[in-house]
Amino acid sequence: MLAAQWLLAFHITGGFLLLGGAVAAGALNVLALRAQKPSEIALLLGLVRFVVPLIGLGALLTLVLGLWLVHHDGFSYGAFWVWAAVVLWVIGNALGGRGGRIQERAREEAQRCAAEGDVSTDRLRELLRDPAGNAMSWGSGVAILLVLVLMIWKPGS
Amino acid sequence: MTLLALGRPFWPLFLHVFGAMSLFGATATAALLAWAAWRRPVPVLARSTFWSLLLVALPAWVIMRADGQWIYSNEGFSGDNDPSWLGIGFTVADIGLIVLLVSTGLAYWWQRSGNAVAARVVAGLTTLYLAALVVAWLAMSAKWN
Repeated sequence: MLAAQWLLAFHITGGFLLLGGAVAAGALNVLALRAQKPSEIALLLGLVRFVVPLIGLGALLTLVLGLWLVHHDGFSYGAFWVWAAVVLWVIGNALGGRGGRIQERAREEAQRCAAEGDVSTDRLRELLRDPAGNAMSWGSGVAILLVLVLMIWKPGS
Repeated sequence: MTLLALGRPFWPLFLHVFGAMSLFGATATAALLAWAAWRRPVPVLARSTFWSLLLVALPAWVIMRADGQWIYSNEGFSGDNDPSWLGIGFTVADIGLIVLLVSTGLAYWWQRSGNAVAARVVAGLTTLYLAALVVAWLAMSAKWN
């Protein structure tokens, strides 16, 4: 098998880890929002920590192998779909990181509440429904999805 | 994904890949929840596993499989001498539906009964399916023949 085929296969593997990981993190967050007790919320948000390394590895593989493939396949780094994808990749990862920090604070608060009688507090509800945090997390997902759109559509090429 | 997309219509390929990636994420979520129940058998994990499979994994499977068939028809494959990677993809997809349906049923039973055996079988099945999905995407993207 050609080296380019393996490059492509591992680039796509990165895409699966990145977008699949984002779906998993999103699902766990939605499930945590619907959970009743702080102990349940802490448990579900705690599982996101297992997904984060997959997202990080996926992000790395998509960028490094993607840029390698652009060169290998003779595309221009100045092509719109290439630089737009890189910009969206940066935005997606930055927003995901910021949103993730707010969810981590919610997990810590949920854990604290769980240890003190397993009763929810206004602070926990505030953190879980934080509009900025949720907007960043969903915005991150949309940015990563747009990268996939650009990879398949390749406008202008 | 550069070579993958050249010369193909956008929607079927986009939806096929998006469905497959979402299916991977949803199956990973279900596997993670079911494995977590091994150490902490609490009802929220059973409920979450069931809803992840029913509301995310199964719809994602439908999107992935239907658009895979759309691409298959567009590209004029007939079933005679189809490449191996295509066979691997279809096999994993079609057996995967059975695995997903059985896992969803078991997750429902686990949610209703709290039976730890159901949780363990769901954990095993979803993990096996994750491994099969990895083989399928490597075969399809690298065009194993």
